[in-house]
Amino acid sequence: GGGCGGSDLPLRFPYGRPEFLGLSQDEVECSADHIARPILILKETRRLPWATGYAEVINAGKSTHNEDQASCEVLTVKKKAGAITSTPNRNSTKRRSSLPNGEGLQLKENAESEGVSCHYWSLFDGHAGSGAAVVASRLLQHHITEQLQDIVEILKNSAVLPPTCLGEEPETTPANSRTLTRAASLRSGVGAPGSPSTPPTRFFTEKKIPHECLVIGALESAFKEMDLQIERERSSYNISGGCTALIVVCLLGKLYVANAGDSRAIIIRNGEIIPMSSEFTPETERQRLQYLAFMQPHLLGNEFTHLEFPRRVQRKELGKKMLYRDFNMTGWAYKTIEDDDLKFPLIYGEGKKARVMATIGVTRGLGDHDLKVHDSNIYIKPFLSSAPEVRVYDLSKYEHGADDVLILATDGLWDVLSNEEVAEAITQFLPNCDPDDPHRYTLAAQDLVMRARGVLKDRGWRISNDRLGSGDDISVYVIPLIHGNKLS
Amino acid sequence: MTYAYLFKYIIIGDTGVGKSCLLLQFTDKRFQPVHDLTIGVEFGARMVNIDGKQIKLQIWDTAGQESFRSITRSYYRGAAGALLVYDITRRETFNHLTSWLEDARQHSSSNMVIMLIGNKSDLESRRDVKREEGEAFAREHGLIFMETSAKTACNVEEAFINTAKEIYRKIQQGLFDVHNEANGIKIGPQQCISTSVGPSASQRSSSEIGSNSGCC
Ligand SMILES: Nc1nc2c(ncn2[C@@H]2O[C@H](COP(=O)(O)OP(=O)(O)O)[C@@H](O)[C@H]2O)c(=O)[nH]1
Ligand SMILES: [Mg+2]
Repeated sequence: GGGCGGSDLPLRFPYGRPEFLGLSQDEVECSADHIARPILILKETRRLPWATGYAEVINAGKSTHNEDQASCEVLTVKKKAGAITSTPNRNSTKRRSSLPNGEGLQLKENAESEGVSCHYWSLFDGHAGSGAAVVASRLLQHHITEQLQDIVEILKNSAVLPPTCLGEEPETTPANSRTLTRAASLRSGVGAPGSPSTPPTRFFTEKKIPHECLVIGALESAFKEMDLQIERERSSYNISGGCTALIVVCLLGKLYVANAGDSRAIIIRNGEIIPMSSEFTPETERQRLQYLAFMQPHLLGNEFTHLEFPRRVQRKELGKKMLYRDFNMTGWAYKTIEDDDLKFPLIYGEGKKARVMATIGVTRGLGDHDLKVHDSNIYIKPFLSSAPEVRVYDLSKYEHGADDVLILATDGLWDVLSNEEVAEAITQFLPNCDPDDPHRYTLAAQDLVMRARGVLKDRGWRISNDRLGSGDDISVYVIPLIHGNKLS
Repeated sequence: MTYAYLFKYIIIGDTGVGKSCLLLQFTDKRFQPVHDLTIGVEFGARMVNIDGKQIKLQIWDTAGQESFRSITRSYYRGAAGALLVYDITRRETFNHLTSWLEDARQHSSSNMVIMLIGNKSDLESRRDVKREEGEAFAREHGLIFMETSAKTACNVEEAFINTAKEIYRKIQQGLFDVHNEANGIKIGPQQCISTSVGPSASQRSSSEIGSNSGCC
């Protein structure tokens, strides 16, 4: 890798396997066997929230360590004691309690001291070192808690839309009518024709921001803060490489799946597949990257072209017309080849081999602040984004059965198994386990890892139909959604 | 702690024969009568002293259930030693030895040292497999043989250490390529040739024990 951050510096956290596996140093050492590739699962004595299943296996030798990381816990989100006045002030609370619905508010006041519990699952896939993934697996949850703390009281108050401006008296119009107007307009949906009886009291239109959008915003901010922390701390610690991040947060009856990178989440419900994430790779993000390079050509260090051609352009082709595409295109057109087009393309390679500036195959994630194009002074980081895509799933909208699950896995799984194959494996496996066996989801996760790793034959790891097994690190969560039924 | 060599072992045999108890007795010197079923694989490690050399044993304890066989098969790869365990009070566990042995031979390196262990020797009154039968099976298949009790710790040290001695002997005879990790042997990070002066050297290492110390 290009990054060679100060290796004299101490590690931020020692390398290890996910804390919830509870492995000793000796066990970590044993598990790092690239020849036998033991599948690690949760020990029987250990339980994850919701009886979540987990299994992992190390790569077949591409790196010394297993560079995937994971963490899972129940966070308590509580308004910060003595928080800076970022929540509606006392006055407005008092005034509101004189509303007809005073009882409900009384309840809320009491609940205010209690935290909201928030389930958290995370999966990171490191590259060019394990440092960033280890740090993110230890710290991202704190950033999430911190972001949620600021809005927890607003989220709990689900009957009232989030205030547009904190600390501002919401009563620019009489309190009652305004609240009603909002609720009514929510019910009637967007674009309902304004009834003539509604008083046109507003001076300008105001967007209605639903609660879940504040959670999405909090997660996006948390990813950004995590990335900034890694950037700051790399002057005092050795935080090597970068990582993708896929996390799930369950808050107030909804699942939020935030993904930055090429891991994947799918829900399997009644045998049906519901994708919960999309991957961010040089191919899927081509236009964003090309546009950035077009706007800021200095980022290419005079060595790359932001244009894409179906193959490398040769000098002897100067002056000829060749197919190309620019940031504004999904289709192709012909252009006359110029000198500049001979430079190496910003995005080159197909599928799993596609790279940004011949260096990295994943375009969102955390870390990588020191990553440079090999043998050059060109930084990759400006092209990488720490922003996750967040999808929301309302658990209350469906009565889930014991075999309805959310699968999270790193690309080691998805490189060799399709969504359909994973769904098929799960729908074969789970119904054959005792529904009361708390270990069934871990066994299902183990089954998936096994299907992706394969078995050792004379010519390497093989999976079904004699296909090549995945030689990558593989990590899988199987999260039963039936526990969501009890919420809300 | 540094070591001269690291040997990888794998423990195999039917469910309930005492594999996990043997491992716990060897690494922690305790017996835990009731504990969880091994699912998949668990690990243990301990330093032993053979011929004045510190040797780290890395032990893989596998699930005995048939349903895990396809998963655990690759774990033979890179094992220098295998403990093949049956329960002297349950004949069917003895009857299954052939199938275990086939599996082991097929998926391991040809030099792997296999120790046959008849466990639960403390339950003499419930014995279902004669010691002579174990000896005969071992002789027939070229295995080393011992009866052990994970409960009383009888012969447990010996079983692990005698296997290590046999591997060590093979190394000295040049039968193992110690530079090929697929053989289950690693050379320590820095060969520690000094005589055991430091307190750490004698801390956990076992003294040499004759192979016939008969407590059973
Ligand atoms: N009496 C006696 N019981 C044993 C001995 N070793 C194991 N056990 C018991 O046999 C059962 C199975 O042991 P375990 O180690 O889990 O077997 P595994 O499935 O092969 O790992 C447990 O209830 C142990 O307490 C032994 O040497 N003597
Ligand atoms: Mg066991």
